[in-house]
Amino acid sequence: MSAGLATPVPSGRAADESAPSRIAVRRLDFYYGDAHALKGIELDFRDRHVTALIGPSGCGKSTLLRCFNRIYSLYPDQRATGEINIDGRNILSDDVDVNELRARIGMVFQKPTPFPMSIYDNVAFGMRLNERLSRADTDARVESALRKAALWDEVKDKLARSGTGLSGGQQQRLCIARAVAQNPEVILFDEPTSALDPISTGKIEELIEQLRSEFTIAIVTHNMQQAARISQYTAFMYLGEVVEFGPTGGIFMNPAKKQTHDYVTGRFG
Amino acid sequence: MPDVAVPNAAAPAEWGRVRPGRRAADRVLRAFSVCVSAIGVLALGSILGMLLFRGLSALGPGVFTTVTPGPGSQDGGLANAIAGSLVLTAIGIAVATPIGLLAGTYLAEYGRGSRLAVSIRFVNDVLLSAPSILIGLFVYTLMVAPFGTYSGWAGGAALAIIAIPVIVRTTEDMLSLVPATLREAGAALGAPPSRVITLVTWRAARAGIVTGIVLATARIAGETAPLLFTALNNNFWFAGNLVGGVSNLPVTIYQFALSPYGNWQELAWAGALLITAAVLILSVVARHVIRKDAVR
Amino acid sequence: MSAIATSEKVMAHHEAGRARISHGGFDRAFRAASLGCALLVLLVLVGILGATLWGGWPAFREFGILGFITGTRWNVGAEQFGAWPAIAGTLASAAIALVAGVPISLGISVFLTQLARGWMRRPIATAVELLAAVPSIIYGMWGLFVFAPLVAAFVQVPLNAVVEGLPLVGTLLYSRVPSGTGIFTAGIILALMIIPFIASVTRDMLDQIPPVLRESAFGIGCTTWEVVRHVLLPHAGVSIIGAVMLGLGRALGETMAVTFVIGNANRLSPSIFDPGSTIASRIANEFNEAAGLQLSALSALGCILFLVTFAVLILARLLIARVKRI
Repeated sequence: MSAGLATPVPSGRAADESAPSRIAVRRLDFYYGDAHALKGIELDFRDRHVTALIGPSGCGKSTLLRCFNRIYSLYPDQRATGEINIDGRNILSDDVDVNELRARIGMVFQKPTPFPMSIYDNVAFGMRLNERLSRADTDARVESALRKAALWDEVKDKLARSGTGLSGGQQQRLCIARAVAQNPEVILFDEPTSALDPISTGKIEELIEQLRSEFTIAIVTHNMQQAARISQYTAFMYLGEVVEFGPTGGIFMNPAKKQTHDYVTGRFG
Repeated sequence: MPDVAVPNAAAPAEWGRVRPGRRAADRVLRAFSVCVSAIGVLALGSILGMLLFRGLSALGPGVFTTVTPGPGSQDGGLANAIAGSLVLTAIGIAVATPIGLLAGTYLAEYGRGSRLAVSIRFVNDVLLSAPSILIGLFVYTLMVAPFGTYSGWAGGAALAIIAIPVIVRTTEDMLSLVPATLREAGAALGAPPSRVITLVTWRAARAGIVTGIVLATARIAGETAPLLFTALNNNFWFAGNLVGGVSNLPVTIYQFALSPYGNWQELAWAGALLITAAVLILSVVARHVIRKDAVR
Repeated sequence: MSAIATSEKVMAHHEAGRARISHGGFDRAFRAASLGCALLVLLVLVGILGATLWGGWPAFREFGILGFITGTRWNVGAEQFGAWPAIAGTLASAAIALVAGVPISLGISVFLTQLARGWMRRPIATAVELLAAVPSIIYGMWGLFVFAPLVAAFVQVPLNAVVEGLPLVGTLLYSRVPSGTGIFTAGIILALMIIPFIASVTRDMLDQIPPVLRESAFGIGCTTWEVVRHVLLPHAGVSIIGAVMLGLGRALGETMAVTFVIGNANRLSPSIFDPGSTIASRIANEFNEAAGLQLSALSALGCILFLVTFAVLILARLLIARVKRI
């Protein structure tokens, strides 16, 4: 990884310290079988801000992200303890319906994952699960989601074609549209650009910047410049713990801990 | 560390918007999947239970020492049928192994990607599930009708034709798993292809190839239909040159199970237990070898 | 370790200058033998078609190809042979096998890939695979001695009481002799026999789907049913159809199990609970005692079975192969 400290371009809008917390993580521990992967995580994700999770491979940043929609529960040997409060409700408690939770928390994965159906159906898929919508309403929602994902102009004439026929960058924006269409409260991005070319990456980054006006966003990234470019808050994780958390500018320009300094300047990781 | 204001601030949307119909559909699917999986396990259990229950009581030392009884005679055993089955299966595997091994080698080593190899592979896959009675008809036309007599050789040939596709397929699959660098290393030493194959690749894929042969044995050991008009069956010891009918277990079971005689039916159950035990043990052994190989 | 042995041998050959020539000879012979064996596989396929066509030719000539296929009488004494009752029995029992077997197979593969927790996966998967290894004659015995009495007591007798005298279902589902054997029982036994094949291919297909696709469907808030229905099955779609065709190919050609339970009637009955016969069971039953035109008619039946099953199997392989390449 090249030196990250150089001069990170500060993102469009600075951190707003008065914004309320949307996701509050308290005493979160996570286990893969016997392996203790996250240790006592305490973090807050502020409303309509982008929070980046950075750190070397295996530090637990993706694991943390996967706790927010409990996608880890697909695998029987993985479990989380502690609290993750989203809008004041602990989503780790048993009485939370995971299907509903996941409808409220959008997630975009490392590789684009269009479903084997048309572009239109891909976007409409999630909202059709829970809402009975008229054709006109569905059309409107699909269009608005595709516009928010900056994909509308490219696909408006071929909505009936298969989603798998798009380019990689377009597929990823389709997945973002699919998440946005559900009107989620939070969108999780798990290294969303690692499989994309630089031009597509730029588009996705712009898109995240725009989405921030409506959604609370958490993004895991391997790319420190990307974290510096698009986030307002950054958490640096190492060996399953949060080493340092604060406004992005501070983390990159003036880190408080030596480990953070070493990582963002490219000395390890 | 966090010093941020109340998480409640942003007004959350109401929870509870999942339609109840969705949960019901999901539960139906889950219940259905569990039930049908139970049916599968129960079916196997019922089959094995039936065999043990009726086969064990019929299984005595006489089964292995006396020949199959004629109509109306008492007692009797399966000695000639068991021996015949062993001979037929041995002939089948002895014929099928070199042919299957070489054909699989051609597909994996020489023909890789060529049109001919692609079509042979395809035909082989189709033959894997071909109706075995048609193979019986084919061998009858080829080896029984012209000579005017049933023979153990025809029976063995029919079994070999069933075993070959299994061996071809596993051999090819296992050889394709051998890393190309190993072949290159052999070739770089100046070894011609035939030497690289016989000394390096075959050796590297040995466990998998043996598994294929065991699986093929399991497959043909219980085959009945192709023997009906090739090896036939009878109640005597077969001739040493295997000309004429050769008694064998599957056809004996078939004839005895549908017969009206009590001692014949008993023997059919004993034979069924023996053959199923043999086939299942071979399958389990083969699977075990594959797993050990995969771990390595 | 074997690489060292190889290099030593090769070096040894190298030093003895003449060894290279014998090498070349072996090399060519080995290659030719491999090719010859591979071609043998093609030859078997051609041979089966040739043998049945050659053997069946007199029957086809006597009754005409179409006349043979559509002929409804099979009367050995009168030298009158029509294939339709056996063809219809084959198609009917295979159709019953698919109707009963496909949903069960899909259910098992969904259970194994999506629902089963670690410790139950292995034994259930093994049980299903062992079902595939059980010889077909054992299925026949089980069908005749265990399953058929159950069918008679719990399906045929109660059903007769309900449907007797009703139009259509009264003919289709009424069994004149509720003995348990018949086309329906054969179909169910066939279903049991093809389940392991369809289930294991489907399971492989579902396992091959990248986990992230599954996760992203769950990530939207889908239930397991919705993930399976909208994402996994369509994604594996064509190859599952291929797996079903593979099962169909097996069901059409299965001999011994069917011969035990189908009742071996020469006449075609309109009821699925009445005895019937399939092409394979007819051949198994009559071939050894047949001569002359009857022998030829049986070969002709074999030829029809060849063409039908191989068409189905080829289609199955094409469908499965198409997906694997992607």
